This record gives sequence, structure tokens and C-alpha cells, in this order.
Amino acid sequence: MAAESRYILVTKRDCPTCQLIEPALEELALSAPVRVFNQDGAGFPATAAADVIDDSELAGSWALDVEIVPTLIRYEGETEAGRTEGWDRSAWRALTHLNDLGASLPEFRPGCGSLTRDPGIAPRLAARYGGGGLTARRIDLAPLEDAIETCYERGWSDGLPVVPPTPERVLAMLAGTNRDPGETLGEVPPDLVPVSIEKIAINAVMAGCRPEYLPVVISAVEAALEEPFCMHGLLATTYFSGPMVVVSGPLARRIGMNAGGNALGQGNRANATIGRALQLVIRNVGGGRPGGVDRAALGNPGKYTFCFAEDDDPAWTSLSEDRGFARDETTVTLFAADGVQGIVDQKAREPEPLCRSFAAGLRVVSHPKMVQAADAFLVVSPEHARVFHDAGWSKQRVTERLHELLTIDGSELVQGAGGMAEGLPVKLKGRSLRKFREGGLTLVRAGGSAGMFSAIIAGWGASGEIGSSPVTREVKS
Amino acid sequence: MSETVLLDPGSERDPSQREPRALPLDLSGRTVGLLDISKPRGDVFLDEIASLLEAEGATVTRFRKPTFTRPAPTELRQDIAEQCDLVLEGLAD
Amino acid sequence: MHDINDLDGRGIAGGFVASDEFRDAAKAQGDALGFHARAIYVPHPIQDRTDEEMKALARKAFPAVLDMLRQGQEQDAQA
Repeated sequence: MAAESRYILVTKRDCPTCQLIEPALEELALSAPVRVFNQDGAGFPATAAADVIDDSELAGSWALDVEIVPTLIRYEGETEAGRTEGWDRSAWRALTHLNDLGASLPEFRPGCGSLTRDPGIAPRLAARYGGGGLTARRIDLAPLEDAIETCYERGWSDGLPVVPPTPERVLAMLAGTNRDPGETLGEVPPDLVPVSIEKIAINAVMAGCRPEYLPVVISAVEAALEEPFCMHGLLATTYFSGPMVVVSGPLARRIGMNAGGNALGQGNRANATIGRALQLVIRNVGGGRPGGVDRAALGNPGKYTFCFAEDDDPAWTSLSEDRGFARDETTVTLFAADGVQGIVDQKAREPEPLCRSFAAGLRVVSHPKMVQAADAFLVVSPEHARVFHDAGWSKQRVTERLHELLTIDGSELVQGAGGMAEGLPVKLKGRSLRKFREGGLTLVRAGGSAGMFSAIIAGWGASGEIGSSPVTREVKS
Repeated sequence: MSETVLLDPGSERDPSQREPRALPLDLSGRTVGLLDISKPRGDVFLDEIASLLEAEGATVTRFRKPTFTRPAPTELRQDIAEQCDLVLEGLAD
Repeated sequence: MHDINDLDGRGIAGGFVASDEFRDAAKAQGDALGFHARAIYVPHPIQDRTDEEMKALARKAFPAVLDMLRQGQEQDAQA
């Protein structure tokens, strides 16, 4: 039986166990053909008995899916009949049926890691030799083409440079999720193109994401594709809005998102690139581009990226909880958002005057005379939150008080009132109307520890069933 | 890392080769820039092309590279992009 | 070729006219840039032609120029 077998041994010179087993290799090669793939160059092992191949390109080791060196693999014909890792004398003897093999060697020595398992190597090898499950069309660059310039020329960029999506980088990105690269999540507007995990990974690479952000990006895309979010209309509108991503829960901290100082600003890779990746998916997969289906009159700078994390504030419910999830679940919430409008109040020490300042700021969302139109997020900073915490006001109580304060007499809102043509039909003059629809005002906590400023993020004028509602999805690995 | 192969981030509905920008159906009312690369005799050729284009209803604007041996300077390219809808470059031999 | 490539990126479509001696060079350059500009080729040589001959060459090439600027089909002006 042993005489019909042949063997492949994978080694590297740098591994003491590989050097140790050279006598056993000599003995084995006397009984059956042995081919050795050595990972760190030619000239090792120095034996004439075996066929030694320089596998420093790691093609052989990759194809054999080796984790440890030495690995001895026995073949019957073309079929693998068994393998053993490291030096384990009884295992080698059982595999080879050579009962005296390695008599001069110790009984056991563990092996070393295969070079194919070195950090960053696997995606390169998968890209070069296959096996990563990539199916996206490959674009060969000409010799003089610059990859970043090519991304611009092909219309793949939002205006800022993108990271060229090489197969190596995409495979490394896909390591951030357990999901199958071929899994399709739905159709991305406006062109209604099916989007796979692989396409999301490609755009996440381009946006500059790290692989650990990918699950958040995937959930953001899933949320954008939910019908209530109305991504198609949001893209096509002449209004300012674009998708804003709020991440709530433990993963936000684990991947290093910023919920603190400058949370709505620049400088944090996760915040910046997760929001950008979503926009690039809509641009590249969906075909949604300014001047095309995107008809924004002015747009807003958040359409490059608008993503931040909610601060963990034990005194208040989290956004995850408010949206029906557990506090320890990580969620993404998408909101059809415009830009940021600040509210200053450096005097209020009680909830009521601070609520009144917030309400006065919120009154002007879209237009001071428009009600039941746009939703809004109110991002409450730590110094403002402290006023409510000290008085024992829950987030729900603040929200309810704001709704009360934003219940407005129709006479102030109708066309012509205040000398402004804009306004509601005159017949609503005798009514009392709430500024925001039920569920249309959402409070979150974020921001740096100093600064008595909070932020209003106004939404698209078309909210709820006629337009977009905030959508929340759990983030899964 | 080599960047000789990229994965298509998009719908894959467009051609994989980068194609020249789409052209108008009609030249009437369009401004065509004629870019003379400064090789001898090219100007005579372009003069004739200019009058034929004008007969088609196009407006013709003339530009001239300082030398055919190098690409046009950035400023010249900006001028063309600013003033023209289309460009015709010649005459290379 | 570089100019047409650059101008294409600036939003200006177009092409170039060259003598047929330039055909192989244009192909090689286009392959290297990953962008093949629209082109019309006229018979070589150019530099020893009289004005009348150059004008005749232009008139003969013009239908192809027109097609190139309106439709973008690569034409061969040689008949």
C-alpha cells in the first residue's frame, strides 16, 4: 500500500521543526516519491532523494491549504489520503505505514505557521490564485494608467480620491463579514441593480473602510433599501437631503467610531468612510449621480458622508432602545438628512428654558410656517443633556415637552401671515397644529464634553408615508 | 501592492473599456475647438475644416499648441474646456 | 492622444486627425493609456503638399470629420 503512495511535504527553512525532520524525509523518500514545497526559497531541504520545489511564491502552499509547516500529505493516485502537521512520530508512522520512521528523532515537536497564514498574505494569494469567491468584472489597467485617476475617469468617485479596489483589497475587506460574497441584498435605486455583499465590499474599499466596518456598511445598505426609507425619491429630489447614518450600540465603540468631540465633523476614519461607502454604493451600483437622477438644487456637504455614533449615556435610553432593539444590540439608523443647524443656550439651568430654546430652533426646520412636513433629529450635547439629567428628565419627557411647545396656532402658519406668502391654506387658521408628525422628532446624545451647543439635523420635506421615514437595522457579523 | 487589476464597483452595464465621451447628434449651435498641434501645413488643413464646420452651423474657435512635441499646457486645455463643446486636434503626421 | 484623453475628462468630446503613418503609434499610445481617442487618418505625406492639395485633403476628410464629431464612429478618410 505504501509503495503506491506519493507524498507532498510543505516546509520552510526558517522553522526549526522542518530542519529537525530532514532525516525522516530521507527515509520516507527511499520508500515512495516525495515532492517538497519549500516556502522560503531554494536550497532547502538539502536532499537529493526528494523533488524539492521553491514555493516562495506560495502557489503550492496556497493550493494545498496548508496552515502549519511541516505538513506531510499522502496521496493515493490524485486523491489526498491524509495529512499530518508538525512532527508527531506516531502520526507520521501511521500516515506512511513506516514503523521505524524517524527513530533518531524526538517523539514530538510542534510545527510553525505557514507563510500563507501571515497577516495580509491570504487575500493577496486568494486574489492571485483564486478561491476568494469574487465574481465582479475585472478591469485591466493599461501600463500608463494611474489607478486613482482611472477611478475618476470611470465616474466611480464622489469627487474625492477613492482607494483603488484591487482584488487583494476586496478580499481583505470581505474578511470583515461571515456573509457569502455572492449574497444579494436587494436592488439599489435608481437603476434597480441587484447589490451583492461583494459589490458592497468593493465600494467599502473605495470609501477607505477597514474590514471591521463592513458589517455596519452592509446594514446601512440594507436599511437604505427598505421601502419606508424611500431611497429612490430621496436621491431624485431637488431638496437638500441625503442618507445620514447613526450607529448605536457597543460595536460603534469597538470599531473606533466617534460619538464625542466633533462627532458630526471630520477626522474619524470609521465615521467618515462608513457614510461614504453607502453613498458610493448608491452612486456606483445604483447609478445615482448628480446631474443624472440626483436633481438636488443645492445638495449638502453630508452627501459625501454623514455618519456618526451615538454616545453611550446611561441616564437616557439609547437610539437602539428607542427604535425597538436591546441596548446591547448594535443598530444603524438611516435618516433622510440635510445639514446641521446649531442651537446655542449657555444660560438655561433648568429643563423648561432649555426646551424652549430647542423648540425655537426646531420651529424653523424647512420654514417657520411649515408643519407636519420634515422630520428632525436633535443631537443633544453632554452639557445640555446634563441639565435634563440633573432634573431627572428622561429623553421621552424632553421629546414630549418639545412637541407641546411646538404646537402652533394656525393663525401664525397660514399663507400671508407674517408678511410671508409661504404657509398653510387659510382655512387652517383656527386650528392648532404640531410642528412634527408623531415619531418625527428623534433625540440622540453625542458630542464633546465642553460646549453648550446642540444640533438640529433637519430632514427631507417629504416625511413619513409620502416620503422617507427613519429606518433601523441591527448590525450582524 | 500592484494596482493593475481593479474590480468593477458598479452595475457592469457599461462597457468594460473606457469609452470616449458621447457626442451630440447635431453640430448646429455647438462650439468646436480646432487645436492646431503646430506641425507645418496643418493650419491650411484646419482653415478649410473650419469653414466647412461653420457651413454646418457650428461656431469654430481656434487654438494652437506651442509645440507638437509635448501635450498641450494645462492653461490651454482649460481654455478649450471653458469655451468649447467639442474639440478636433490635428494634424499629426 | 494625451490632449484628447485629458479634454474628455474635462467634459469635452472630440477626436484627432492624423496621417496614416501615425496609426500604429496611436494604437500603442491608446493601449498604454487605456483610452482610444476617436481618430481620422489621411494619406501621408503632409508636409510637402501645396495649399490646394491640403484644402482638397480637408474637403475629402470632412464627411468623416463630421461623422466623428456627431456620432463618434472611427472613420477612415482614405478612399
